Amino acid sequence: MLYVKNLHKSYQSGSKSYSVLKGIDLSVAKQEFVAVMGPSGSGKSTLLNCISCYIPFEEGTITLGGKELKGLDKNALAKVRNEKLGFVFQDFMLLDGLTVRENILVPRIIQGKVEREAEKLADQLMALFGINHIAGKYPADISGGERQRTAVARSLINQPLLILADEPTGNLDSKSSRAVIESFESARNKLGASIFMVTHDSFAASFCDRVILLKDGVVYDTLEAGVGHREEKRSAFQDRLLDAIRKMSSLDAESEKDTAGGM
Amino acid sequence: MMTMKSLEKKLQKADRKQAALYLFCNFVSLLLITAYSAMMFSPTVLKVLPEGGDSRKQMTAIFVLALFGCVVFTIYASSLFFRKKARQLGTLMALGASGKRLLPGLLREVLLLSSVSSFAGILAGFPFVWLLWNGFRLAITDSAQMELQIDLKCLYLSALLFVIVVMFSCLMAYRYLKRTNIMEVMHEEHRNEPVKEWGTWCGPVGILLVFVGAVLGYVAPFIYMALFSAYSPVWINLFYLPVFPGLYMIMLHTVVHGWGARRKQPYKNLIARSMMKFQGKQTVNNLLVSTVLIMGSAFAIFYIPMLAVGNLMEVKDRAYDYFYHYRADQTVPGKEEISDLAGKYDLGIADFKSAPYLMLAMDGTTEVEDGGGKFHYEHIDFLQEAKFFSEASFEMLTGEEITVEPGQYFAIANTEETALYYLNAGCSKLTNMATFQNIPVSFAGYAHYDMLVDSMGYYVVSNEDYERIGQELTPEWMGTCAFFNVDGEDSYDFAQDFFYTLVDSFGPECEMPIYYDRVKKYDEELKGEVYWGDTDRMTQISYSRPDDSDFRLYWTYMPKSRALDRGDFVNSFSVYLMMFLFIAIICSLAAMIISYTRCMTIALNNRYVFEDLKRLGASPDFLIKEIKGQAGPVFRIPAIVGMCAMYLLYAMLMIMNDGKLTGGEVGGLIACFLILGGLAFVYYLVYRRTLRGMCTQLEVV
Repeated sequence: MLYVKNLHKSYQSGSKSYSVLKGIDLSVAKQEFVAVMGPSGSGKSTLLNCISCYIPFEEGTITLGGKELKGLDKNALAKVRNEKLGFVFQDFMLLDGLTVRENILVPRIIQGKVEREAEKLADQLMALFGINHIAGKYPADISGGERQRTAVARSLINQPLLILADEPTGNLDSKSSRAVIESFESARNKLGASIFMVTHDSFAASFCDRVILLKDGVVYDTLEAGVGHREEKRSAFQDRLLDAIRKMSSLDAESEKDTAGGM
Repeated sequence: MMTMKSLEKKLQKADRKQAALYLFCNFVSLLLITAYSAMMFSPTVLKVLPEGGDSRKQMTAIFVLALFGCVVFTIYASSLFFRKKARQLGTLMALGASGKRLLPGLLREVLLLSSVSSFAGILAGFPFVWLLWNGFRLAITDSAQMELQIDLKCLYLSALLFVIVVMFSCLMAYRYLKRTNIMEVMHEEHRNEPVKEWGTWCGPVGILLVFVGAVLGYVAPFIYMALFSAYSPVWINLFYLPVFPGLYMIMLHTVVHGWGARRKQPYKNLIARSMMKFQGKQTVNNLLVSTVLIMGSAFAIFYIPMLAVGNLMEVKDRAYDYFYHYRADQTVPGKEEISDLAGKYDLGIADFKSAPYLMLAMDGTTEVEDGGGKFHYEHIDFLQEAKFFSEASFEMLTGEEITVEPGQYFAIANTEETALYYLNAGCSKLTNMATFQNIPVSFAGYAHYDMLVDSMGYYVVSNEDYERIGQELTPEWMGTCAFFNVDGEDSYDFAQDFFYTLVDSFGPECEMPIYYDRVKKYDEELKGEVYWGDTDRMTQISYSRPDDSDFRLYWTYMPKSRALDRGDFVNSFSVYLMMFLFIAIICSLAAMIISYTRCMTIALNNRYVFEDLKRLGASPDFLIKEIKGQAGPVFRIPAIVGMCAMYLLYAMLMIMNDGKLTGGEVGGLIACFLILGGLAFVYYLVYRRTLRGMCTQLEVV
């Protein structure tokens, strides 16, 4: 489905160049729910922006559904974003002037293919995520959780190969966060969607099949969810995630201490 | 079924509020420019303002400033609109809409908004100028010459701004969608515009540059003329340019460093200052435009008090209530007829004095144009026509003692010697224009009498020379001057009756402006050239319109009457006064709207900062202080810098004109100062209104 190989990305600030991604390798399989975690500055958002075709990268390859993204022109990249990818953003990015139902249909409208079938799919998605009662409402009139579930429904309207979610629970309370993550689960289980999520939230990540820990622009560790009863499995996975994150942080602290001691 | 077109339509409908500011800014800019150019090209104004004259140049210069301000304002408005639009565009692009797909819709929207608002502004400009002008006529003064005529030529300038606004908006739409980085587009709304910081030196250096630019700009034409013996070309005005970077540096210093003793209290106004700094780029631009417009406004408004105070002081200080003069070949009312006329108004005539004068040709050295702006100095035998009293006549008329040796002449100047440039101090020969006999003379100095000053010039020669040169001179080259007072309280009705009676008594051969020089005409016809006074270039005056500004200002035999000159001052200068008042209103209005809009934008952009401050427990008083910290400099700095800079520049021009400040100029400058106080108060009221608006917007009670 998604293959990222030896991805390098750097930013230029004045005459200095800062390397943010230093050779990332990862993949997401069909119907897989993968999260990327890591401290600030580890390169999570840059990785997501590269996969989203928002920013160009210098080295490496990104292959989506067998198609290499590097070298595509702007129009072709826009087509990939519209047809092969679905997006969920931290601040929802819904269009204020459109109703919930119309917002869900936007990717189809962009494609120019709003047929009866698309409207039916929008209605099904709203029913699946429990937002059909607010179909005619505007984003300003609904809660944060409802807005994010609308965004999840929008990301699925074109039945993309992969949903990219950038901190989808970052602006939500715990109840709404759970509802949004459960809607991702439903999308994967009932619609066969693949999801690639960047998050700081270990609770949200614990619902995933796999979590990639990123540190200083490289993959630090990959953790797989265990097997067993859903809630127990999730809880145990969250504990393991927290341990791994603690370990990663303590290594940082130790290396800082060594550096200070050596001085 | 929804299509891309209907989606865009729906989004545009929802974005009406965002578009309102954009529409308003375009509308106001086009309205102001149309109103200004309608007035500038109006035959009413052009007829009164002489071509190539200072007033017309000033009007054009201020227009250029206003146009520049409006262009910057509309560019700013469209950049605001696109910042608001960016989130929507960014979302659609993130969801897979290509720039190519979005461009037609965006261009359609921008084209519609910019053209409709600009067109509405142009249309509204005409009723606006009509209402303002006729409001003046109703409230201040009215005369037949003030009837506003509009020449549709003024639409050229409106059309130019229309094209600039529409083209720039479309260009901006294109530029936005051409950006490759979607992230940048998506985050545009929250993007700060930090200004590039310069050191604390930039404020003082800015002030120095403004000063240097003003002095250089003023002296450069004189230096050019001295060095190259040519009239200075238009580009010489570029020497004024340092004023603009100077102003920019002052604004930058204000935004970045402020003018207070910050080192002692580094935390004072820290939040307001940092907010200001991060929005600095646009704030500095706006401050600069407002300053330039306020300077334009001050420059225009100064015209009125400078003219009025000087004029009223001169009228008040006159030694006699009435002065008139006439050619010997005219039959005008004498002492008896005037007494009879005064009798009708229960008035008597007192202190009546009259004395003859001769109109002779003076020679001298003057600049002669070579073409292409070049000139050389040449001695001309028939340089100009001037009026000459004998020593005895001058003493009798003025009561001033004077000794003029034969072969000498004195030029009559006002007591403060401010208008010496009209007087010929280099004459070596006087010529009788009937016999062409001449006598050699030399300049002996200035005699003084304020009432005997006009642009043709009065001179005094010895009694012997007067007799000698006046022999066989024909009546059209001879004249009489008369002064008298009114016994008792002077009456405006009598003054008006006297003026009309005098005008009626003159023949058509005297229907000429004072610049019409018969000696010059003779000289040019001698050379086979057509005298410019006989062409359309000379201001035309007519006995049938004795109340016109042109007639009152330029008629060769215009009498002086204290009652009439006081009562009709506003009327005589009505078009000048109205035009400069109009310019001042337009420039002030534009500056106020720009400052208001900038403050409201600052409030909008910093809304989240104020939300955070509220969460951190900031009291309403604290928040209001921070809001004042934002709005204060936006209003205060352009007002202070613009008004002070123009006041000092004006004072400098007054001093450099003749090396001193006359009583009239000092009075005028005091009046200017008071008017600036009034303007500052109006500006303060707008500032208070803006503060209220910002508090409402930020929900700070």
